[in-house]
Amino acid sequence: MIKIENLHKSYKMGSNSLHVLKGINFSVEEGELVAIMGSSGSGKSTLLNILGMLDGLDEGSYILDGVPIKDLNETKAANYRNKFLGFIFQSFNLINYKNAMENVALPLYYQKVGRKERQDKALKYLEQVGLKDWATHLPSELSGGQKQRVAIARAMAAEPKVLLADEPTGALDSTTSYEVMDLIQKINDEGNTILVVTHEPDIADMCKRIVHLKDGVIVEDKKVKQVRASQYV
Amino acid sequence: MFDRDIWQEIFYSIKNNKLRTFLTGFSVGWGIFILVMLLASVNGMTNGFYSQFNDDATNSIFIRPGTTSKAYAGFEKDRRIQLRNDDVEYIKKSFPNDYEHISARMFKGTSARYKAETGSYSVQAVDPDHQIIEKTIVIKGRYINTNDNISAAKVAVIGRKVAEDLFKEEDPIGKFVEFNDLPFRVIGIFTDEGDDNAERRIYAPVSTYQKIYGNTDEIDGIALTYNSSYDLTKSLEFSGRLETILKRRHSIAPEDQSGIRIWNYAEAFSDISSFTTVLRVIGIFVGILILIAGIVGIGNIMVFIIKERTKEIGIRKALGAVPGQIIKLVLLESVFITALSGFIGLLIATGILALVGPSIQSPAFTNPSVSPSIVITATVILVFSGMLAGLIPAMKAANIKPIVALRDDK
Repeated sequence: MIKIENLHKSYKMGSNSLHVLKGINFSVEEGELVAIMGSSGSGKSTLLNILGMLDGLDEGSYILDGVPIKDLNETKAANYRNKFLGFIFQSFNLINYKNAMENVALPLYYQKVGRKERQDKALKYLEQVGLKDWATHLPSELSGGQKQRVAIARAMAAEPKVLLADEPTGALDSTTSYEVMDLIQKINDEGNTILVVTHEPDIADMCKRIVHLKDGVIVEDKKVKQVRASQYV
Repeated sequence: MFDRDIWQEIFYSIKNNKLRTFLTGFSVGWGIFILVMLLASVNGMTNGFYSQFNDDATNSIFIRPGTTSKAYAGFEKDRRIQLRNDDVEYIKKSFPNDYEHISARMFKGTSARYKAETGSYSVQAVDPDHQIIEKTIVIKGRYINTNDNISAAKVAVIGRKVAEDLFKEEDPIGKFVEFNDLPFRVIGIFTDEGDDNAERRIYAPVSTYQKIYGNTDEIDGIALTYNSSYDLTKSLEFSGRLETILKRRHSIAPEDQSGIRIWNYAEAFSDISSFTTVLRVIGIFVGILILIAGIVGIGNIMVFIIKERTKEIGIRKALGAVPGQIIKLVLLESVFITALSGFIGLLIATGILALVGPSIQSPAFTNPSVSPSIVITATVILVFSGMLAGLIPAMKAANIKPIVALRDDK
């Protein structure tokens, strides 16, 4: 599904250049649930941004579902993101003046899905995350966990190849975190490929594989026995 | 364009920033308002100027004698020049192709009496052609004709005001009115678009007055119209020739400006035309400057809105919005604000003009109004300027990298 070879990325900071990713080789199969771990500054967010086509790479190759991702202009990147990827952010990033259903329907709007179908699909995914009754509520009327579940529904709505979650539980208390992880696990159970960036070991343990980044290189890449979040909920 | 979601976004943004939207819209609406008012005022002035002149034929030339200011050909200076009937004949013979209508003129005052009513009026003794030269509109009866002149008939065409003053409710046509105790038969009543004073005038045949004033052949002036196919240069050239020939005939030094005065309407008219054109250009220029201020205001607001919505734009891009869609969103919003507020300004301005305009009838300022073409132009300028105001912020918004936008914490 994802294949990365010899990935390099550096940022220019004035006259200095900060080498963030120093040759990453990494691949993800379909249906995997991968945790990317590392302390801050290890390059894990940069890696996720590159995977999410939110940022470009300097060197190396990135193949997503058989499509080489390179030399993208904004329009093409936007289309690929829309088609291949679903994002889950730490700060939820819901649009605050749109209700839950409209937020979930937004990626479908950019896929040029008709209005009626958008609403139906959005409701379907809201139901999946258990928030159908909250469809007409604005994000400000939802709790943190509910917001993240709306965000997950939104990421799912476009039916992407890969879900990318950047610290999905970072802004939540532990109980809510487990609820969200439970949801992510269930989505993964249905065969979806999910990458989770986290620095919390207990969250990482709920994935099937942990990739450890340190100073821009992968120092550890191991399969783990998944801890089911449902037992804590 | 007619996408419900986009309009929803725009209304949301407007609704949540009422004051900001109002202030921006106000600057554009105000700009358009001033532009329209300005152009209407220029129109009003133009109308005023033209109405001052259009009661005379625009191709007319007036000749009046004066007093020489130079000694010439054996004559001393300060000699009074006297025009006579044969001057008219001479012009007719000399310029058969240049003139269209010609009339001698005598200016006399008279005290008129009908029954118990009296009044003093000015009499212009003229030839039949004078009607066309002065654009006199006879509303009742007829004007002086050739027969009146040949027979030196004591007939008069009186102004509407004269008729009102002397005859009150009576029908003046056919009645006899005494001018300096001489009975004149009223043959017509005229009106004049120019002003009330012109309607306090009386026309009589020139031959009649010459007979009354001692069988003279003297006249006080000549009025004529030149060939209406002449343009400004040709008409000026004609009045130049006229001047030369009359000066020679009356032994006036060619450079003497006061011996004989020739007043060509075309000259004054072209001055006014260029004056109003300059006025119009200034009006448009100032209006556009004001509009630019409004547009800059809108651009400013748009930049601000983008700044505020950076994160949202980042989210949208992460979800798959292409730059074109972001540009469309921002552009439509600015076009909407400019068009709506400008339109309101336009409506208010045209409304005020429609209400107040027709009642303004002073000589220098008549019926300020705007033509549909101005309204259409203003609307086009509006939409275009809205686009312009939104374009730079829109491009900026579209080029925000999603990663930068998402990092924007607020």
